[in-house]
Amino acid sequence: MKTIKLLTIVLLFSFKGFTQNNEKLNLALQKGLVMIDSAKGEQGFQDAANYFERIASAEQKQWLPAYYTAFCQLHTALLGKQNMETKDAIYDKALTFVEKADEVSPDNSEIYALKGYIIFMKMSLAPQARAMTMIPKATGIIGKSIALNPENPRAQLMLGQTTFYTPEAFGGGKVKAKPLLETAKEKFEKETNTGLNPSWGKSRCLALLQQSN
Amino acid sequence: MKQFILLFALLFYQQITIAQTKISGIVISTNGQQIAGANISIAKTYDGSSTDTAGRFSFVTSEQGKQLLKFSAVGHKPDSLWIDLKGKTLSLELKLKEMVNDLNQVTISAGTLETGDYKKGAVLSSLDIATTAGAVADIVAALQTLPGTAQAFGENGLFVRGGLGAETQTYFDGMIVKSPFGSQLPDIASRNRFSTFLFKGTTFSSGGYSAQYGQALSAALLMETKDMPEKSSTELSLLSVGLSATKTIKMKKSALIFGGNYYNLQPVYAVVKQNINWDKAPIDGQANIQYKLQPTKNGMFKFFGQFNRTQAALKTGPEQMAVTNSNNNYFFNSTYQDYLNNDWKVQAGISYSRSKELGGIQENDYSRFDELTQGRFSINRYLNGRSLIRTGAEVYFGSREDRYNTLSRSFDNDMQAAFTEGEFYIGDNLVARAGARMEHSSYIADWNIAPRLSLGIKAGKRGQVSLAYGTFYQNPDDAYLIQSTNLDYEKADHYLLNYQFLNEGITFRAEAYYKKYSSLTTYDFAGYAGSYGVNNYSNLGNGGSGYSKGVDLFFRDKKSIPAGDYWISYSFVDSKRDFRNYPSVATPPFAAKHTLNVVYKQYIPYLKSEIGTTYSFSSGRTFYNPNNAQFLSDKTKSFHNLSLNVSYLTSVFKQFAVLYASATNLPGFKNIYGYNYSVDGSNRQAITPASKRNFFVGLIITIGDNTFNR
Repeated sequence: MKTIKLLTIVLLFSFKGFTQNNEKLNLALQKGLVMIDSAKGEQGFQDAANYFERIASAEQKQWLPAYYTAFCQLHTALLGKQNMETKDAIYDKALTFVEKADEVSPDNSEIYALKGYIIFMKMSLAPQARAMTMIPKATGIIGKSIALNPENPRAQLMLGQTTFYTPEAFGGGKVKAKPLLETAKEKFEKETNTGLNPSWGKSRCLALLQQSN
Repeated sequence: MKQFILLFALLFYQQITIAQTKISGIVISTNGQQIAGANISIAKTYDGSSTDTAGRFSFVTSEQGKQLLKFSAVGHKPDSLWIDLKGKTLSLELKLKEMVNDLNQVTISAGTLETGDYKKGAVLSSLDIATTAGAVADIVAALQTLPGTAQAFGENGLFVRGGLGAETQTYFDGMIVKSPFGSQLPDIASRNRFSTFLFKGTTFSSGGYSAQYGQALSAALLMETKDMPEKSSTELSLLSVGLSATKTIKMKKSALIFGGNYYNLQPVYAVVKQNINWDKAPIDGQANIQYKLQPTKNGMFKFFGQFNRTQAALKTGPEQMAVTNSNNNYFFNSTYQDYLNNDWKVQAGISYSRSKELGGIQENDYSRFDELTQGRFSINRYLNGRSLIRTGAEVYFGSREDRYNTLSRSFDNDMQAAFTEGEFYIGDNLVARAGARMEHSSYIADWNIAPRLSLGIKAGKRGQVSLAYGTFYQNPDDAYLIQSTNLDYEKADHYLLNYQFLNEGITFRAEAYYKKYSSLTTYDFAGYAGSYGVNNYSNLGNGGSGYSKGVDLFFRDKKSIPAGDYWISYSFVDSKRDFRNYPSVATPPFAAKHTLNVVYKQYIPYLKSEIGTTYSFSSGRTFYNPNNAQFLSDKTKSFHNLSLNVSYLTSVFKQFAVLYASATNLPGFKNIYGYNYSVDGSNRQAITPASKRNFFVGLIITIGDNTFNR
């Protein structure tokens, strides 16, 4: 069975003339998701980010390539050891791809959840200067993401994560984050196969829950 | 097995039918460094690769013929190259130029100190202003910890580089604020009328500023209000001096914000010993409303209206004269800006200020009434991204009326101004700004033309050198204009040389300047004119002149101490003038030679508290002694102040709250600002701060939001 699947893939890949553009894109995205799954550290995510960026620049009318470019850029900075200035530039680049995705697919809960994530991480580079303006900005965007689709586990995760990393003194903390993360966990458990659409976050949610205990 | 054969056959088939080209090479920066993680791609295809840690890449494409090869990397300018794919392996060396960002972009930094949350080059953020010890959330007091400014010593205003407080003009979203401070009481300064939390950023220009701004001989303080709030909230402050509240209602594309405060210093003065003989401790009431509308993606309409009433009464001087004062002030401001497209930006504004002061000096009554209406329009034309040409026009309608018992005098002054200026980036290492401003005053009945020129040159990766020159005109003070129709513009020429070094968390600035004053107002008056009440001058003219020269240094380090931050600023000024009724050239009292400020803040997560401390030093200032034949040759002793504040973050009724306590002049230094002499000169009284030490406690609660949203 597997071989047939592979064969189909190869066939689809080879006979360009017969394949629909969408299928070419789907295959490329699938390959990219495999890259994300096996990515280890900065270099892996940078390669994946570049890969998705190449697809995004050829497929201007699709939101997923831009979305995954932003997602991989975010992780390049999250896992990397770049200096602050470079991290800032990477987050900014991730944000431009989120904006691109938003233009193609407006009011998409997934895109807002990712945007909230990136802004929160950008804030954490210089919390003293940025917390005041960027935490409310991130929470506002995450709130919109939840409003657009309350069943989106990543939107719920972002709410929990933001609360988790906001100091208690500023209204956050582990205690407050725990019930939020539990809600996110429930939503993750309910989530069925998403295909090429975003499906990340469950392990992150579980890891944060563990730290909340 | 069969399937495998088929698979191989297919793969092989692909291999031989589609000729492939191998592209490999290296990506390096223009400074010769290999770039890891660069992206190489063939335009409009998915083909491409990333570079490894050595900057090397290699990939295979089945595209044919002429193709555009794109390459990019974070922090670098994307580039591209046409290549011809014929199946032959290509080996390439690709070069990328470093991208210009906020930190390494060349700017004009001479004379300009920016504060705010959105600019990387900003010297202070709005939170810094709110939490600077000793400043008690007053913008102007916080700016007095920056280089180029002097201690105010009981006088209203921001005293910049040997200039008077009145030589600094305050702009609110680009519009002049006629009276930014509360009433000047005898030897007691009032606060700035505007809350720190209204603004997203402040640009403080201590010289050589843009042609957009006029009517300021020394400095421009540009305050920019916040844009759309992120969410609705309510904020309450309970302070040892009174109450304040702000409500923010956020709608889809607009927001309504209103609030007010009531401060009464009576209870505090009952506890803290006062050097002033108060008949009535100051009372300050204020109400304001803001409306913000974002009709288009980049368009922004803002309306701001504020009413402020202050009252106080005290006895002053060796003769213990009774002085009373009340002040009603209105300020309305409305601005709109939008981008017509990528190349054009328009800005328009209209504002109205109105201030009425009523007071008494012993048995005499006086009043002062002034109004100013301003309209402003400007257009920016952007040229390939960064360079721009800016042009605009302004109209002002002003009037003032003074009364003293049954006597009165008044004057009207309408003004027109136009400015044009170009800002040109020449490569990545040079920026030049050249412009001119033209003004006409109906009362002075003359034109003035003020050229401005500045230059920024990169010096190393993080450093830059800036130069600025400009001519600045300002009308003589209203108190003089109202008494004479023969006065002309006062004039200052600035020459500035600045070096700035910016790195992550580190800012260093050094600036040398020379400021030449001419046509300053002179008059005849017996004695030394005080800064309050009503004085009659004779023989008003423009025969005055003077100079200021000096060096300002600033160092800020947000990096070395974890969760800590400090800055040091030092100013040296050598200034002499012959103006007003000075019998000879002398150093005026407001130009102390040395000023030093050290500000340190430390957040302690364990205590959920931020502790801040500010030490200020100023060398002695000159004062007028009628018994000394040599004018202004006496000097006070040096000024020292050490202030401390603590902000404790907590929650009250599950709402986010900040408990704030501050103390000014904690060690109790005995500071003397100068002396007031009796009319016959036989006895004198020291001018001191209103109290030796000052204490302040406040609780600020934000409701309807569990995150820190200020």
